[in-house]
Amino acid sequence: MEDLLYSIGQKSGIYSFMHTSWGWPTVESLHFLGLSLLIGCIGLWDLRLLGIARGVPMDALHRLVPWGVGGYALNLCTGFLFLVSAPNQYLYNPAFQVKLSLMAIAGLNILVFYRFAFRPVRAAAAGAPAPPGARAAAAISLACWVGVIVCGRLITYFRPPYHWCFWC
Amino acid sequence: MIDFLIWLEETRSSTWMRESGGAFFSSLVFHSIGMAFVAGIHVVTDLRILGVAPGVPRSLMRRYLPVLWASLVVVTLSGLALLLAYPAKALTNPVFYFKLAAIVAALWIMRALMRGVLGDSRRDPVPAPRRERMLAAVSLVLWVAVITSGRFLAYTAKVMLASHLLY
Repeated sequence: MEDLLYSIGQKSGIYSFMHTSWGWPTVESLHFLGLSLLIGCIGLWDLRLLGIARGVPMDALHRLVPWGVGGYALNLCTGFLFLVSAPNQYLYNPAFQVKLSLMAIAGLNILVFYRFAFRPVRAAAAGAPAPPGARAAAAISLACWVGVIVCGRLITYFRPPYHWCFWC
Repeated sequence: MIDFLIWLEETRSSTWMRESGGAFFSSLVFHSIGMAFVAGIHVVTDLRILGVAPGVPRSLMRRYLPVLWASLVVVTLSGLALLLAYPAKALTNPVFYFKLAAIVAALWIMRALMRGVLGDSRRDPVPAPRRERMLAAVSLVLWVAVITSGRFLAYTAKVMLASHLLY
């Protein structure tokens, strides 16, 4: 896995771009911009479901969600650039593993939300509280994304001693 | 200036920020989470003024003001803590002053927008006037500048501590 990612980085030129003096911080800036979009759209949507900013019509507010998904897509791309430029700093890092797990939980949570809780939310009046199921999904979502930020910070702050890895 | 920086970084609280282990890292985490909310709320409000999600009445974006204020408090306190840990690192770097200036300008724009197009529910049905759309666009650019300069701070610092300049 590490070799594969490393060779992708090498052959595509990503590795050399990222290791120029401005490559890494530029991509980090884009990564944080994507995060801000994600928190600004998905985070504010979650907060509305949790009862903050009641009065904002949920049906209309939901039109911001695609912008949050755009931020998420930007972060998948920029995150991939980091990953192939220093694969051994990520793959064996527990913080990275937890971060991916939280992203997976958030993804499942989104599927469950749209399958079971979205229709009553759309139908609710502007000032109405969100149904309990939707509120639970919002709390899970918010907790996951805050956890993702914490893990993202941890990845670069504590470099992994290799023996921490439980699956390799 | 250098005497002041050396005095500051040798105070007990500055040393504690660097050496306690958790203090610096938790400040970093709070700064990241807070900044994501501060920038996120601004970006979304700007997008709303520029015409995204037209069904959301603009004046109702003010309902998120308490979240914005709380995030600004978190960002300021954690930012001061990070500054206290390595005062010379930021204060000798022009990028730091650029970041602060961009934040002040962006907050000033948001204040103007709150008093203008975001402040009056009677104006919700009509699109925002050209001048305020311009302000929202400038605000977007400023937040990109804040984020970018914040990230580049870690890469453009010339010294970590003022005492390093002595040797």
